[in-house]
Amino acid sequence: MTAESDKLSGLLAMLDEATALLAAARDFAKPGKLPRVLDTARRVMLLPGGCAAVAARARTIEEAGVFAGSDWATPQILVPALTPHSLGSADAHTVVIEALSELRLLSVALGEYRHPQLPAEQAHHYLTQVIAINLHLLFGAPTEAERASQGKLALLPRNLFNYLTERIGYEHVIDQLIDEIWRMLQQRPIQVDSVKHMITQIASCQANPDIDLGSSGQGANRLVSALFSPTRGCAEDPGVAVYLERLHSMDPSGLQSEATGCARAMHDTGLVSPYHAVLLRFLLEQNDHLLAEALGLSATGRDCLLCYRDLVHALIHGCVQPDTAQAVYGLALMLERGILYQPAAAPALLRQLGLQLSAASRERLTLAFGNGVSPHARLMEGVLCMLGQPLGVGQGNNPTCQSARALSMWAYSDPDYLLQMVAWAARDNEIIMHFEGQPISSCASEGGLAATLPLDLDPVSLLVVPHLDRIYAEMGRRCIGREGDPHRWVNPEFHGWWSGRGFRINVDVASGQLADLDAFLRHFYASYHPYYNGGLPVIHPQPAGIAVTDSAARFVGWHAITLLRVNIDPGNTMRVYFYNPNNDSGQDWGDGVKVSTSGNGERFGESSLPFEEFLSRLYIFHYDPLEPGALADVAQEELDRVTALVHRSWGADRIPPTALQASVSPHA
Amino acid sequence: MDKDPQKGYIALLGWSLNAVEAAENFDRRYVVVAPEWAEEYCQKHNIPYVSWNFERLNDRSLEIAETLKSMGVDVAVPLYEETVEWAGAINSVLLDNPRLYGQSLLLRDKALMKRRAQLGGIRVGIFEEAHDKADVIRFLKRVNQTLLKLDGDPNDPIHLKAFDKAGCLGHRVIRTPDEVDSIPDEEFPVLMESHLDGWEFAVEAWIHNGKIAFLNISEYVTLGYSVFVPASPDLEAYRAQITAQIEKLIKAFDIEFGLIHPEYFVTSDGEMYFGEVAYRPPGFKVFELLERVYGFNAYQASMLVFDPKATAEEVATFFPREIEDANGYAGCFGVYPRRRVVSTLEIPQEVEDHPYFESHELTPPLEETVTKRTAFGTHWGLVYFKGPDAHQLRDLLKHQEDLDYYV
Repeated sequence: MTAESDKLSGLLAMLDEATALLAAARDFAKPGKLPRVLDTARRVMLLPGGCAAVAARARTIEEAGVFAGSDWATPQILVPALTPHSLGSADAHTVVIEALSELRLLSVALGEYRHPQLPAEQAHHYLTQVIAINLHLLFGAPTEAERASQGKLALLPRNLFNYLTERIGYEHVIDQLIDEIWRMLQQRPIQVDSVKHMITQIASCQANPDIDLGSSGQGANRLVSALFSPTRGCAEDPGVAVYLERLHSMDPSGLQSEATGCARAMHDTGLVSPYHAVLLRFLLEQNDHLLAEALGLSATGRDCLLCYRDLVHALIHGCVQPDTAQAVYGLALMLERGILYQPAAAPALLRQLGLQLSAASRERLTLAFGNGVSPHARLMEGVLCMLGQPLGVGQGNNPTCQSARALSMWAYSDPDYLLQMVAWAARDNEIIMHFEGQPISSCASEGGLAATLPLDLDPVSLLVVPHLDRIYAEMGRRCIGREGDPHRWVNPEFHGWWSGRGFRINVDVASGQLADLDAFLRHFYASYHPYYNGGLPVIHPQPAGIAVTDSAARFVGWHAITLLRVNIDPGNTMRVYFYNPNNDSGQDWGDGVKVSTSGNGERFGESSLPFEEFLSRLYIFHYDPLEPGALADVAQEELDRVTALVHRSWGADRIPPTALQASVSPHA
Repeated sequence: MDKDPQKGYIALLGWSLNAVEAAENFDRRYVVVAPEWAEEYCQKHNIPYVSWNFERLNDRSLEIAETLKSMGVDVAVPLYEETVEWAGAINSVLLDNPRLYGQSLLLRDKALMKRRAQLGGIRVGIFEEAHDKADVIRFLKRVNQTLLKLDGDPNDPIHLKAFDKAGCLGHRVIRTPDEVDSIPDEEFPVLMESHLDGWEFAVEAWIHNGKIAFLNISEYVTLGYSVFVPASPDLEAYRAQITAQIEKLIKAFDIEFGLIHPEYFVTSDGEMYFGEVAYRPPGFKVFELLERVYGFNAYQASMLVFDPKATAEEVATFFPREIEDANGYAGCFGVYPRRRVVSTLEIPQEVEDHPYFESHELTPPLEETVTKRTAFGTHWGLVYFKGPDAHQLRDLLKHQEDLDYYV
C-alpha cells in the first residue's frame, strides 16, 4: 500500500510539473507539452486513488489548456452518447482526455469547481447520463474486444466510473438514473432512443447474475416491461416472430388482453414496445374495436379512428414496424387530438403517405437512422409523432431553438401547414417563406445559426430544421440596420400570423442594460394575466424570449420558448405554462426559480412556473396591438417582487444607473 | 517576454519549435529564418519570420545577409547542420568578419575538420575518404592489417559517415567486404574511420570570448540508442582532461563564440580521440535533458553566447555550476521496434512502474511491417528517464535495448 501511494505521489509530482509546463507554454507550444500531461495522467488514473487525485486537480488541468482547441473545451455541448466511443478508443490520448473531462465535470457537479460555462446541475445531469450509457463499465471486467483493442488501458475507464459513482453515490446511481428516466419521460419527448438505450442497459444489468444491485433498481420494472414484455403474450421477451405466431393462436379475449396491456404500457411511459407494432399490424386484419383498444383510445380518439378508418389503416401499413414502434404512440395521440377533422389534415397526410423523397432526404435519414427501415417509413413515423406530441420536439445539441419552436407551434396549431413544410423540405429540398412580402428561399440563403448540419434530431426536424434555420437567419440579416431587436419583425413573419405584431422587450439592445422594466412588467400583466386582461385565455401559442439562468441565477443566454397557457394550478397559484424546445425542460434557474414539468397541472411536454417567477426571466413578448393596451394596475408590492427577482439574477449587471437612483429615492 | 533593445537581435536559422519557444521567453529580440512552409504558422502565432530557402546556395545568398542586416539583426544562430554554413556566411557579413565563413565550412566537412584537428595537435583515429566501394574494401583491409589481424580473425569494424550530415544520419558499420555491397552508390563519397574500442561521449560547450562558459559531458550508453546528462562520476573523472581537449579544439578552429558539440572516445588507457565536432545544437534532445537537470534553457544559452552584445557578467550569471547544480541525472532512449511485424505500442510494464520513467513521445505504429534498419538514427521516438543515481540510470537505459515497446 505504501509502495502504491509512494508511486502515486511520485507520479502526481510529475503530473503537476507537466501541467505547469503546459500552463506556462505559449499557445503555439502547447501541443508539444500536452502528450506528457496526458501520458502522466493516464498512469495516475490507473493507480488506486489516482482518479481522486486528478479530480482534485481538475481546475488546474483545464486551465493549463488540456482541452484547448477541442470539443472538450466547451463542456456545455458535449454529448453523453459519444462517451462510449472515446472511452473505448484504442488511442490512449483520446481515452485519457475524455476521462479528464469527466473528472472535471465531477468537480463541477460537486460544487468544488465553479465552471465558467457549465452550471453544477448541468454537469451532474450530464454525468448521470454518461454513467447510465456506460453502465457496463461499472459492472464486470473488460470484454475480450476491449482487451484486444485497449489492453491494460481498458482498466482506466473502469477506475474512472467506479470513482465517479462512488462520489455521486454508488447505491443510488441506478435509482437516480431511473428517476431521471421517468422525469424525462414525463415530458414525452419524441426522441426516446437514448432513453431506450439506458433502459436496455439497466435491464441487462438486472439480468446479469454477477451484478448485485441490492434493493435498487425496482423502479425500473415498468420501464423494462414496457419495452421488452408489455403483456402476458410476450412476458419472457420471446422475440417478435414467436409473438406473431402466438397472436395467430389467440382467442378474442386473449387478443383483447394483449391490446389492453400494450396500450397501458404505452400510455404509462410514452414508450412503445416492438411487440406493440407487431400486434397493431396483426389487428388490422381483425376488427377496429381491438385496434382502438390497442391504441388505448378514448371516445374522441375512437371516433376519429372510425371516421378516418382507411387513412389510419394506410398509415399503420405504411410505417408501423417493430423498428418504428414509436409511430404507434404518435398515431394514438394524433387521433386523440382530433386534428384529422380539420379539412386539410387528412388529405395532407395522404400526400405524405405517397411522397417521393428526394435523394438528399433519403440519404440524410439513412445517415441519421441507419437503413433498418425505409427512409419513407422513418419520416412518416416522425410526422405522426410530431403531430401527436407537438410539445415533444427537441432541438438536440444545436443552436436552433427558434426552428424547433416553429415546428412545435405548427404541429400544435397549424398541422397542415407543418405537413406542407415537410413536403417541401423532403421532396423539393427547398422551402420558401416570405418576409415582409419578399420571398426567401432556403437554398439561396447563406448559412444559418447552426454551423454544421445537425443529426441528433427527430426525422421531421432532421429534414426541415436546416431549411428553417437558414431562413430564420436570413430574416435576421434583412433586419440589419433597423433600430431595436430583430425578433420584433422576424417572429411574426416566421412563426405565423397569430404571433402578435405588438412587441415588448426590457433590454436596451445597444447597451444590454435593462430598459423600462416597470412598464414591461405591467404590460405583460395586462396582456396575459387573466385577472388583468379580462379573463382572456391565451388563444394561439405565442413566441417569447427568456433570459436563461443557471442554478446560481447567473445569466446563461437568450432562449426561445412558446407561451401556451396562463392558468390557476391545482395549488391555486397562477402559473404560466410554456413550451421549451430544449430537450430537457426541468431546469433550475436559480434563486428558487425551478421549472416544473409535472405535478403542477402540466400537460405532457409543458413546463411551468408561477406567474411572477416566469415573468422574472422573460425579456421579450408579443401582444396584439389592437387589444386594450392600458398598463395593468398591478400592486407595487407584486411588481417589486418580480423586479427583485430580475435584479438578483440575469439583470444583476444590467441595472442602468438611473434605475439605481430611482430605487434610492422613493419618488423621482 | 519583454524584449530589451539594448541586447542583441538574433536570427534563428532553421525551424525548431523549441527554439522559438525559448526565444519567445527570452529578453532578446529574435526572428525566425525558415522555409516558406513555416510562414502560415508564424503568421498565425505572431512569430517574427523571414522566409528563406536554405537548399540553394547561390548568387542570391548575400541577399538574406543584407535583409537581416537591414533589419538590425546582430547575429545568426544555426539550429541544424544544414544551416551551419549559412550562419557562417551571414555572420561574416553581420559581424564584418570574413573568416567566419571559412570556419563554418571547416565545421561542415568531416574530413576537413579531422585534418584541421590533427594539425592542432589533437589525436584522431585513422580516417580516409572513400569515393567508391573499392576504397572501402581497401581501407577495411588496411586497418585490420595495421591491427595485426590474421586471415580468419574477425575484423575490427570500420565506420562510414556522410561528410556533411548530422550525427547518426548515414552512419554505417562495416565488418566484412560482403557488407560493402549493401552501400548504395549514391551515398558516396563518404568518410571512413577506424573503430575505436572505448568510451564514446559528447560534449556541449558554450563558448564566449574564446573561453568555455559552460561545459557539459553527455554520456552515451549505446551510440544511437541512449544518452544521459550529466555524465556518470566515472566519466566526469576525466573532466579536467576533457576541458583541456576542448580548449585545444577552440584554438585549432579559432572559435570565439557559439555552441560546439564535439564527440570523443576515451580508450582504456585514458587517451582521448577526437571524433567530430558540430557547430549546432545536438540531436537526441540533449537540450531538453539539460533543462531537466540544470533548469536553464540551452537554446537561450546559445542565443546568449552568440550575441555580440552579451557581457561576460551576463554570461557568467546565466549558467549554473557544472555538476554541482544538477538535481539528478536525465537520460533518454530511442526506441526501435525489435520485431518484424508490430501492431500496437505498449510501454513495458516494468518501465511504467519504474520510478525513473518520466514520459515518452512514441506514437502508435502506422504500418505493421517494420522496415529493416540499415543505418543509425531513425528511431521511432524517445523515452525519458530521470533519477538520482547515474549508475542505475545507465543500467536502466542499457536494459531498454532488451525490451519490446512495439508488439
